[in-house]
Amino acid sequence: MLVNLTAKAPCAVPNTMTNNDKDLTLVQRLVAGDDAAMQDLYAAYGQRLYAYAWRLTGDPAQAEDVVQDTLVVVWKSIRKFRGEGRLLAWLLGIVHHLALKSLRHRSQPITPELEETLPARLPSPEQQAEQTAQAELLRAGLDRLSLNHRAVLELVFYQGLNLEEVAAVCRVPLGTVKSRLSHARRSLRSVLSWRDLEEVR
Amino acid sequence: MNDHRRNHRRNHQGLVDRLPLYAAGQLAEPERAKLDRHLAICPSCRAELELWLAVGSEVSSANAGVQAPAGLVERARERIQAPSALQRAITRTFSLLFSQAYLVRREMWPSSAILMAMGIMTTLLLQKVALVSYFAPLVAAASLAAIFGPEHDPACELTLATPTASWKILLARLTLVHGYNLLLTLGASLIVLFMVPPELLWGLILSWLGPMTFLPALALLLSLWTGSGNSVAVAYGLWLLQFVHPHWLPGYLAALLTPVVDAYRQFWASPLMLVSAGLVLLLAALWLSGRMGTRLVREQL
Repeated sequence: MLVNLTAKAPCAVPNTMTNNDKDLTLVQRLVAGDDAAMQDLYAAYGQRLYAYAWRLTGDPAQAEDVVQDTLVVVWKSIRKFRGEGRLLAWLLGIVHHLALKSLRHRSQPITPELEETLPARLPSPEQQAEQTAQAELLRAGLDRLSLNHRAVLELVFYQGLNLEEVAAVCRVPLGTVKSRLSHARRSLRSVLSWRDLEEVR
Repeated sequence: MNDHRRNHRRNHQGLVDRLPLYAAGQLAEPERAKLDRHLAICPSCRAELELWLAVGSEVSSANAGVQAPAGLVERARERIQAPSALQRAITRTFSLLFSQAYLVRREMWPSSAILMAMGIMTTLLLQKVALVSYFAPLVAAASLAAIFGPEHDPACELTLATPTASWKILLARLTLVHGYNLLLTLGASLIVLFMVPPELLWGLILSWLGPMTFLPALALLLSLWTGSGNSVAVAYGLWLLQFVHPHWLPGYLAALLTPVVDAYRQFWASPLMLVSAGLVLLLAALWLSGRMGTRLVREQL
């Protein structure tokens, strides 16, 4: 078994009032033209935005450009953020759009060498103990997923977005997000030999 | 027992879609508890959840090593504070106009002004307002025939070698010289207002605007094509042709040529046609200026 079922499910970004309040203050400061607010925004969300941009572009330099463009867009169009959803989802929507745009403009396709420059995975001690063949298979399965399917998994599991937010970020209907999730599940299932499941059935 | 199974299956279908969100820790309490109860009795969902938990842990650990690069905010700020594309374009345009004002032949400015002044004096002395629409295009054509090309610009080769495209240089000189001539003619029209009522000003401007666009454009195009002396002569000749009367010619030729000459005179009298034709010629001149460099190289070889 890869993960202990009794363990508490990984907790995503808590959507608490305090976080929302912080975001609102940040947005108000940006609207007011407060220069330091940009730095605070980057401190709060830079790592997540950069990780997502890197995941989509597969290239750290291109991811830097995308995040830089995102900051410029945020500064210029922060007034368009109405506070209807979470700030993180709005920001990721901009990153998603700019990353796909920059991928379209890139003449070179992503090469295996570029893929290898993706950040080194740092497993926790427990995970290291469970470095089984199945974990390797899962990793390979994730890498084989298309950009659209991988993006949905990133947004749900790493960025902690709900399905409606994922749909807004990717600019697709909610049904498409659900079908991408189930396609990802089927694809991963076919890669892995889930013996436990087979035994149960 | 069957009811129980049916309930279980219905629950299962609805809940299996929620498992990714459950694994991502996104379900709120009542739904989470419901799923917990279902998981306790559904081994297939437990296996499914196991897959999602493994995916979640793998996705998170894949991002664990990512560090947001420093200095991005500063770079973004620099770009935000940099002048916009429009501001940069305006600055570039003004600097180009300023630099080209020095490179246009200097005698052009006073000679155009003197010729125009002479024209106004003649107009005032002869009391013929229509004269403005004759001399202004001739002055403008003469000056535009000498703004570009190896014959008029001692630094022509240097001009062609600069990174600024030659059509931009030509456009800048055109704007300066033709703008100057238009201002002079406008001034002339205002002076002529001493002779005619003010409401005729617009009609007066229209009478010279057409020829003033077409004739200089023609002279410029010809100057780029041939050489300045010829180009002004040809342009003036074409302009003078409108005053030819067919009845000066033998009878059979007159009958043949009258409709052609009438149409030609009509053309010189319609501002809209002249302005559009002039703009087409200007575009052609700008295109031709780009090929000037290739021509020079060919001539020297």
